[in-house]
Amino acid sequence: MCFKNLPVEFDAQGNAHLKGGVVDPYAYKPREIKRDKLEELLARNGHIKDVSISPVTRVAGALSFHAVADLQERKFLEANSVATIFRGYEVILKGRDPRDAIYISSRACGVCGGVHSTAACEAIEMAFGISPPPLGTVLRNLALALDFLYDHPLHLFLLAGPDYSQVVVQATSPAMWEKATRTEAPNAEVHQFKTIGDIMKGLNPLSGKLYLDGLKMTRTPREAYSVLFGKYPHPQTVVPGGMSSTVTITDFNETYTRLQKMIDWTKRMILLWDDLTEFFYEYNPEYKKVGARAANMIDLGMWDDENSYDASYARCNEWGEKRSVIDGQLVTTKLQQLNLGLEEFVEHSYYEDWNQNGKQRFATDPSGAPLSPNHPWNKETLPKPSKESWKDRYTWDTAPRWDRQVVEAGCYARIWTTAAAGLMPKNEFLESTGHSLKFHMPKTMLRAMDFEWKIPTLWNAFERNRARAYCMGYNLMVAYTMVLKAFDLLRKGEDKVSTKFEVPMGERIGVGFWGAGRGYLSHHLTLDKGAITNYQIVTPSTFNASPKDPFGNPGPYEEAVLNTPILEDFDKPSDFTGVDMLRAIRSFDPCMPCTTHIYGGEREIVREVNTCACSAEG
Amino acid sequence: MGEIPEKHVGEAGHHKQRESSTMGLPDQVGNVARRTMEELAEDICASQGKSKFSLGPLEKVYVFWLAGMSCDGCTVSVSGATEPALEDLLTGSIPGVPLVVLHHYVLQLESGDHYIQTLINAEQGKLDGPYVLVYEGSIPDENLTVGGEPFAGEGSLPLWAPSDERRRVSTAEWMKRLGPGAAASIAIGTCATWGGIPAAYGNITGSMSLMDWMGKDYRSALGLPVINIPGCAPVGDNFTDAVQAILLFLQGLGPLPEFDELGRPAWQFSETVHTHCVRAGFYEEGTFAKEYGDKECLVEIGCWGPVVNCNITEKGAISHMGGCMNSGAPCIGCTMPGFPDKFSPFYKAPPGSLVSSNASRLLGSVVRNLRRISQRERNREIRWHDTVPSGWAMERGGTSLTHKILEVFYEAMQFQGGKAPERDPQKKFPTGYQSLPDRVYTKDYQQLPEDRVLKTEKRV
Ligand code: SF4
Ligand code: SF4
Repeated sequence: MCFKNLPVEFDAQGNAHLKGGVVDPYAYKPREIKRDKLEELLARNGHIKDVSISPVTRVAGALSFHAVADLQERKFLEANSVATIFRGYEVILKGRDPRDAIYISSRACGVCGGVHSTAACEAIEMAFGISPPPLGTVLRNLALALDFLYDHPLHLFLLAGPDYSQVVVQATSPAMWEKATRTEAPNAEVHQFKTIGDIMKGLNPLSGKLYLDGLKMTRTPREAYSVLFGKYPHPQTVVPGGMSSTVTITDFNETYTRLQKMIDWTKRMILLWDDLTEFFYEYNPEYKKVGARAANMIDLGMWDDENSYDASYARCNEWGEKRSVIDGQLVTTKLQQLNLGLEEFVEHSYYEDWNQNGKQRFATDPSGAPLSPNHPWNKETLPKPSKESWKDRYTWDTAPRWDRQVVEAGCYARIWTTAAAGLMPKNEFLESTGHSLKFHMPKTMLRAMDFEWKIPTLWNAFERNRARAYCMGYNLMVAYTMVLKAFDLLRKGEDKVSTKFEVPMGERIGVGFWGAGRGYLSHHLTLDKGAITNYQIVTPSTFNASPKDPFGNPGPYEEAVLNTPILEDFDKPSDFTGVDMLRAIRSFDPCMPCTTHIYGGEREIVREVNTCACSAEG
Repeated sequence: MGEIPEKHVGEAGHHKQRESSTMGLPDQVGNVARRTMEELAEDICASQGKSKFSLGPLEKVYVFWLAGMSCDGCTVSVSGATEPALEDLLTGSIPGVPLVVLHHYVLQLESGDHYIQTLINAEQGKLDGPYVLVYEGSIPDENLTVGGEPFAGEGSLPLWAPSDERRRVSTAEWMKRLGPGAAASIAIGTCATWGGIPAAYGNITGSMSLMDWMGKDYRSALGLPVINIPGCAPVGDNFTDAVQAILLFLQGLGPLPEFDELGRPAWQFSETVHTHCVRAGFYEEGTFAKEYGDKECLVEIGCWGPVVNCNITEKGAISHMGGCMNSGAPCIGCTMPGFPDKFSPFYKAPPGSLVSSNASRLLGSVVRNLRRISQRERNREIRWHDTVPSGWAMERGGTSLTHKILEVFYEAMQFQGGKAPERDPQKKFPTGYQSLPDRVYTKDYQQLPEDRVLKTEKRV
């Protein structure tokens, strides 16, 4: 049984239908947010602190965070994740040629610079009834892997890394810094940093070796990406029915040498993050609670098998299983169920409910399974800029939920689910065991090494970062495998990269299931008369940065902060820096451009006027 | 850009050096190092020591990076720049180039009010150096959000106040507050330079470019209109290249950087991307790609290169590598003011190409054939008359009559106006050397059996 909360059942053949006897199956009553007690505490007490961080830096895009901290009890009482940007992209797509969706939706996010174009292409391919030739699919997989390979060092060394650097640790926990300088790093022989203090020094912004090398390492995969796909972000080589890269031996060789460089570096970095993580745990086990939450995760999988992927909805469960799919407790690996369980809520966001507008567009998916009125295919978001209120609306992000549960997306959701599902086709370099993910990294300057990422028993900020480091190794070996596959196809003379197509005129529906650096990504698309009638994007950070849902559950960042103990040193309340909470938030690698691309309908924006208005006429 | 030396000379983290300016502020939320990134950069500079003489009047320049309706793609591009590299600018490591104190939400060490404080200092004229504004993304019409949350917000005011007394400040408002005092305002990326995707037909945020928003009369403190570095995403190096050029000029070292009538660095954007395109030769010879992945000119599958101001084919996308057409991607005009609506639907051959590509097809078919003949001749050593001693393919040694006639003309032209050197073309090697098979089989060597001759003829 896949759904706990949704009124959907499956019969013996696996076909979904609505549970009988329920009048308005998808209806719910939104829960109010009560804050009176908190407000009273805030008004009264010196150690209850209202914490406003706007902007939260070292994340991509515009994120603010609000929390209420109890500095005596050293915990958080309230947490609000606030997306402070809205762009309205999908309405720009309405009425356009479907092919335009690839380049326009790409601009939803320049951080994961090519994932949206691919997701759009997959949605289009489903709607057009075409699919790429094997080399086209392999190239897409390779593009994705390279995309991640720039993204992981960016996160580990430029965005999250500085929170573990000497300058920060020394300022917020001098005793820990002292100890770090005296603690030998267990894997120093490989990564060459003698003590934990040396690692922390390496992480110092602008001057640390790890910081600077990390920045350079974000360029190496982008070079390969640009050679094969033109530019990064926003390549134009992703086309319906495949890719438009003119691939030559040189292109692959240049990619190959860059992978080799990265393999060498990654071996060292994985062990380095292991050392750093274990040091924090040992110094104070309370660090295990920073950013903690239950491991409820969602991922759609990616890296299509070039012989299975045919872009059809009818067969999506089959080609999807060749990917590495799952929700937290390994609830399902079926893409169709992942799709059916998806809903978006806007009770605490600056949008109006689209369901008041009357009829639900699609009652079922293309296979006849019931679809919620809150499903992206039915969604129409109506922006309503209003005043921030912790009780009411406070973000431009929506609250997507799966089976009405809070799920977290991330590259680690992918390796988690891949490890747990054990469905991934095994090869020389990669193996999923059901409880871990093993990968072998061949000899480079450093000796050949085997790594195993075991599904952690804890889930917190440190594990997110550590998993990210392992992901780098894993993705690297996926990239490596893809280059070998491409070589193999070329040897067989299968050098076609695209399929011909025509834009269909009838009503069509499509969805692209793909992944971004931070995990889950879907594009839902409807077409008629050769033009787009609706376009919806759900991204990983839409999940992670989401506000409370109507059932009262906080979004993942919020929940992670609520579970975070305050461990930093401070003498008086005004010395509190919030570093623990920032570590928790940054461990998700927030990326706001994606989060807030959400579009508005044809309605005009309601203009509310009240006193504290800043006018911004130009 | 070699490897970073094991021991990086500049180092931060010597806290004792100087008391942080943040110590006197009302609270420390977000100030995780209890020290700003700027102070770190200065520590690094201090640890590098001073040169014996000064290379210009400027020691330090602030850069405030603001984002409106952006995807952060421009930021990502600039982080990839290596000519010069971001990290070299930010640590003051380039001789003559002042230390660039970048204030960027993606890189900044400190968050929240500590981040915003520097913007306030700039507004109040309290910085110890000039500042430059960089705007990424288009500017929405925040009149639509009056009283509510802005479409694009950064920070909230008043600083240090409880959350319910604050209001979010739009980046447009920051632009308005800081614009007049800025030494220069730079729009980066097509969203900021010309509106780009967020300002395309159908947009509901009233987005526009920085130029549209600031108006024709805007002048920075140095008297400059908005500088535009377009591209979606732009080539990161175009940004750092322009910044370095401007700074070196201000230091009295570099030549005057010129800007075109739309405020683009003229040395980067005055040519079309087609002129330096790696496929331009295919265009000239009238051969065109029919399918995605083909190696020829991409104009008939949607490339707008011949009318687009861009330098990516010459400059590369990153580290001088890649570039749209270099890899097989048709140009969709992402650097142009007309992007995207004047170029879409994408993937369709540009209407104008109908005339020009057919013209080049016509001319190309003549030129191409003449060139192939000439090329074939130049693929022969002067010693190869009838036979080609290559084991790689069955090459027919002989030449056709037209070929021979053309070569006579060619030779006549080659030495026209001078004296043709006296050579005996029949004498293969001056020493009289004969290869072993030549010696053994004499002329019969390389006499192919008849069926293979036929095959070869067909191939040639
Ligand atoms: S110009 Fe392009 S790359 Fe830059 S922010 Fe806009 S959409 Fe992104
Ligand atoms: S070649 Fe065209 S699409 Fe590519 S960067 Fe230049 S203007 Fe943009």
